Amino acid sequence: MTKTFVRWTAVAVVALAALAGGFYFGRSTPGESTAAPLLGLTLPDIDGRDQRLDQWRGKVLIVNFWATWCEPCREEMPEFVKTQARLGDKGLQFVGIAIDQPDKIRKFSSDLGLNYPSLVGGYGALELSKSLGNKLMALPFSLVVDRQGRVVYTQLGPLKPEKLTTIINELL
Amino acid sequence: MIAVGLWLAAATAFAADAELLPAEQAFRYSARALDNRTLEAVFVIADGYYLYRDKFSFAVAPDGTVLGAPELPAGKIKTDQFFGKVETYRGTVVVKLPLAGAAPGQSVVLTADSQGCADIGVCYPPTRQKLTLALPTAGAGPTAQVDAIPPKKRWFQ
Repeated sequence: MTKTFVRWTAVAVVALAALAGGFYFGRSTPGESTAAPLLGLTLPDIDGRDQRLDQWRGKVLIVNFWATWCEPCREEMPEFVKTQARLGDKGLQFVGIAIDQPDKIRKFSSDLGLNYPSLVGGYGALELSKSLGNKLMALPFSLVVDRQGRVVYTQLGPLKPEKLTTIINELL
Repeated sequence: MIAVGLWLAAATAFAADAELLPAEQAFRYSARALDNRTLEAVFVIADGYYLYRDKFSFAVAPDGTVLGAPELPAGKIKTDQFFGKVETYRGTVVVKLPLAGAAPGQSVVLTADSQGCADIGVCYPPTRQKLTLALPTAGAGPTAQVDAIPPKKRWFQ
C-alpha cells in the first residue's frame, strides 16, 4: 500500500515536473498532433524524387534537420550512420532533412557514406521545424517519433550518443 | 512510465534552447555612415557565438545607390573537414562599405546577411537584418550608430 502510494506520488511528481517544464519553455505536450504535420510532409530526395515521411510510419523514426554549413550537424552524423547500420533491421529509421542545396547534400552524403535518406528541405522545412518545437530555427534539430507516430523527444543541438542509445532502447 | 520518462527528458532537453539567443541578439547588427560614400557596419557577437567571414553579404537600397566590396577584417582561421580553411569572427566585427550614388542627407537601407553558430553546438541559418541610415549632410561628421534592433525592444525580449 505504502509502496504503491510512493510509486504513484513519484509518477505524479515527475508528470507535474514534465508538465511544468513543458509550460515553462512554452511547449505543447509532444503527441500525435505534433507528429501529424511532420509525417504528412513530402520533400524531394537528392535525386529529385518526392518522398512522404509517413512511408516510415511504424518504425522508430529519427528525423534530423541539418545542413552542410552547420559543423555540429556534420559532426554528429557519423554516429547516426553507425546506429542506422546496427539497428536498421530492428525497425530504426533515420531521415535527414537538409536545409541546403542538393549538390552540397549529395557531396557530403557521399563523403560520409550516408546510409539513410536525406531529403532536401528549403526554408519552408525550417519553418515547419519551428512549429515542431525548434523555436529559433537553428540546427541540428532532431525529433524522435515512436512506432505509433508520436513525437516523443526533440533535441536542439547534437544528440549525444548515450542519449540516443537510451531513447532507442526504450522505443525499439 | 517510459512515456513519462521520455516526456521529462524532452522537457529538460528544451532547456538548451531556452538559454540560446535568437540570431539577431546573438549577432547584434548596427551601422553608421561615416560620410555619404562610406558606411560602417558593426556586428557585436555575444560570448560563446561566432560568425563566418565568407557568409557576409551586404546590399543597399534604394535603386541608384551601390555598395562596393565590403572590407572584412581577417578572421581566425580554422580547418573545416568539409569546406577546408574557414575564417570566423568573435567579439566585435567592423566592416567598411564603400557607397556610391548616394546624396548627402539621403536615407539608405543597409541589409546585412550573416551566418554563425553557438559553441554549444548549434548553428543558425543565414540571417538577414536591415536598418535605415540617414547619410550626413555635406560637411557634417559621421552619423550616430543605428541599431537593427531598437534597445527598447531588447529589454522586452
